[in-house]
Amino acid sequence: MARFDDSRPEMTAEEFRLLRDHVYAHCGILVHEDMKFVMERRLWPRLETLGVPDFSAYHRYLRYDANRHAELEAAVESLTTHETYFFREPSQLKAFREELLPVLEKRNARTKRLRLWSAGCSSGEEAYTLAMVLRDEPRFEGWDVEVYGSDISRRVLTMARRAEYGPSALRATSADLLERFFVPAGNTKVRVRDDVRAMVSFGHHNLLDEAGSQLVMKMDAVFCRNVMIYFDQSARRKVLRILRDRLVPGGYLLLGHSENLLNLGADFELVHLRGDLVYRRPELPGLVGGEVR
Amino acid sequence: MSHLPIFPAEEERYRALQELDPRAEGILDVLVTGLHDESWRVRHAAATGLQRLTPPEHVASRLVSVLGERGETGARNAAAEALAGLGPAALAPLVKLLGHLDPDQRKFAADILGQLGLGAAELPLVQALEDPDLNVRVAVAEALGRVGGEHAARALSRLLGDAEPLLRLSALEGLALLRRPPPLPVVVALLDDARLRRSAFRVLGLIPQVAATERLCQGLSSDARSIREAALAALGTQASLVEPSRRSELEAVILAALRRLPDAVTRLEQALEAEDVAVRSGALLAVAAMGEASLAVRVAEVAREDRLLRDVLGTLGRLGSEGGRLLLAAMADLSAPARAAAAEALVDLVDPGSVTPLCALLEWAEDDLRGVVVRALGRTRAPEAASPLVDLLRDPVTAGAATRALGVLAGSCRAAVLSALEDAVARRATPVAVTALGRVGGAPALPSLRALARDVDPRWRAAAVEVAGEVDGRVGRELARVALADEASPVRAAGARAMGRLGGTEAGALLRSALQDEDASVRRAAVEAVGESGAVDRVPELERLVRHPDGALAVAAVRALSRLGRVEAKVLREASGHPDEEVVKAVLSAGAVSREGVTLAVSLLEHPHWDVRAAAARVLGDSGGPECLEPARRVLETEPDALARQALADAVGRLSRR
Repeated sequence: MARFDDSRPEMTAEEFRLLRDHVYAHCGILVHEDMKFVMERRLWPRLETLGVPDFSAYHRYLRYDANRHAELEAAVESLTTHETYFFREPSQLKAFREELLPVLEKRNARTKRLRLWSAGCSSGEEAYTLAMVLRDEPRFEGWDVEVYGSDISRRVLTMARRAEYGPSALRATSADLLERFFVPAGNTKVRVRDDVRAMVSFGHHNLLDEAGSQLVMKMDAVFCRNVMIYFDQSARRKVLRILRDRLVPGGYLLLGHSENLLNLGADFELVHLRGDLVYRRPELPGLVGGEVR
Repeated sequence: MSHLPIFPAEEERYRALQELDPRAEGILDVLVTGLHDESWRVRHAAATGLQRLTPPEHVASRLVSVLGERGETGARNAAAEALAGLGPAALAPLVKLLGHLDPDQRKFAADILGQLGLGAAELPLVQALEDPDLNVRVAVAEALGRVGGEHAARALSRLLGDAEPLLRLSALEGLALLRRPPPLPVVVALLDDARLRRSAFRVLGLIPQVAATERLCQGLSSDARSIREAALAALGTQASLVEPSRRSELEAVILAALRRLPDAVTRLEQALEAEDVAVRSGALLAVAAMGEASLAVRVAEVAREDRLLRDVLGTLGRLGSEGGRLLLAAMADLSAPARAAAAEALVDLVDPGSVTPLCALLEWAEDDLRGVVVRALGRTRAPEAASPLVDLLRDPVTAGAATRALGVLAGSCRAAVLSALEDAVARRATPVAVTALGRVGGAPALPSLRALARDVDPRWRAAAVEVAGEVDGRVGRELARVALADEASPVRAAGARAMGRLGGTEAGALLRSALQDEDASVRRAAVEAVGESGAVDRVPELERLVRHPDGALAVAAVRALSRLGRVEAKVLREASGHPDEEVVKAVLSAGAVSREGVTLAVSLLEHPHWDVRAAAARVLGDSGGPECLEPARRVLETEPDALARQALADAVGRLSRR
């Protein structure tokens, strides 16, 4: 096996446990036992940035330093893989556009208001993608439409607000979409067009924070893709309760393609679309599609 | 409620079962009815619900009766799922079921016992290998592979000689699961049987012998993809078992085998995308053995499987600068985990031609990758890397890495680095450039550092003070002394740190005021500096600080006393009662050199925090005498935490030998 940098400290089993527990207590993200090597490598840059000699010292930094809260966010961000790019999971987007948006249009015809939440939005690609999808839907012309992106990391939110992206974020974006929704921003980067940016707002949320979640307005649909994979069952249940609470009755929850709600209670009902499976907060008794039965 | 209401939709039935109160009367009947639902989701919900009922023994008996309902395949499978989730409560009825008249039932029993994986099922299962029905015996053999144990392993080994190929196969699979390979000649003989070959390869991987490697490599040339992949997976397993010193021997054998295959690269390309993690792991090993740079991008993508990150990095590191070039060119198209792995590998794969693509990558790379790219830039040995690295000093995320990278780059291009740094300081780009300038520039940079130590901006003063001592001790002390009286706390903290590193007879006196500074960060820097500088005249202040409610300060004080070799028993005792466990761990570490510390460690073996107990155990292992053995043993018997138990067991082992 090739050597990489012997000057970097190894993480002991105890350091792993202390850091893992610390992260879990903060945000419910559970690093599995067999992920010590991964955790070690993902946190090395943090040690390097802070000039901290080893993982015990890093744990003490997270415990005591004046910047510990920001550092904990940075650690969590390092530990969660941000595999995000524009127009990711096209089949789900297609199902959303063709099957859910008409339902939402009908439901909200009176208010002409639509609210979507990209929970765990990382650097904003998903939130802007949703805004672009809505922008391409004539049915919402003249509506009050807003996409809300949230993440636990303030740093990625800064990137999201900046809305500048490199080629890797655009690997699934067609030339036509690139032309219509982005403007050049330097040699290799592009920026999301201002009219799309104006549809998206961002906020800092820990998905396990019940009190903080009250700041999120009621949503017609929540995209929470590949976020709960980092949580254990009890944290997932808690997040689902919070998401349910933030959805209007009959509102939709869309998860990543490898995720499901088996064994996670009955807060949502499964909806079989032609091209996807999504979840829905049950309607209030006596109501269907927002109307009295 | 004694029956499941007839709901019109699957969703409603599913939700109804999920919402049932596990204490409700008749709930068992309702859930058992749910096991018979036409929808698998409803059956699964019923099976999950049954696992929550009490008493579980009663539920288990009822579920066993469902297993007997011929023609109800869905219900029987759901009952099996529920039984497997019941744990030990299901053991007795399932063992009893092994004696049922109906072989179908006996097979179910064996399957579920295997899923339960309880050691208590080992002997009944071994006995069940005498079952007259072949299907039952096969299920039992498979179950033994999951349950494990000495008897199981021996019984499975005996089965390898059975006339029935199915039994031989399940025995071989079981031994592979148990990681208990039979002797090499036995396994090699099994390779002749086409039906067993795949499993035999799997078991071969558990034998870290070159002879086994040779046989596995024969599998690489098989026309059957399943055989090739089994061989690769086994090679991956073998590589993880072999001594690092013998790895090159193993790779040489693999390389020789692959060279004989005209389409080796295509086959490895396929294997890198196999479903099976073990196959991908073996493919990584093979690519590393070949040094096949053309597969660099495919290799990087394997990092999407977190568990293979180590192997991916190892393989990428073997692909040379050609592999590096391919990775750099593909960075934009790689998935995020692949990009992270590729960037990590690039640090070792770059050459002077990499500067331009690395800089292009910096323009859009995520922050967590930027640090790695910065390290790579430092290793290019190219003067053109100096300027972009200096620019990166301005970004707090990359400043630390860029400073170190400039140090590395200065080893081959000192003039270019120095010129870029001087220019950055002149432009007042960032105070971090001052640190780098001091380290790279050495003595000729001292006039600049002196001037910067009087700068109007405290950040620049702090940077100059901190680095000056690294260049020249006398100048450093002079600047640190002035800094300790600075009006800005970052400068005072920098002065304290510099004084700590420089030491000297006056250090203690000079640090005295900093120990009482109004700013906590200055106090902490001063405490650490006292320990580092050897200022024993400040011990009384440190002794007072070990009781400080600020855990960070107390930890620093304990560690400083330890460095000074002035940890008194009384101080140890006082600090060991600190409410912050980090302080207690620091105390244990500091006390490890003294008898009082060992006594304290014994008393802390039952501390409420697992990490303190583990630390106490380590102290006993390192410093304890035979008198500590008994208390350590006693605590080991009841220690609930796995890591603390491991530390205790280690301590007991070491103490037993004293």
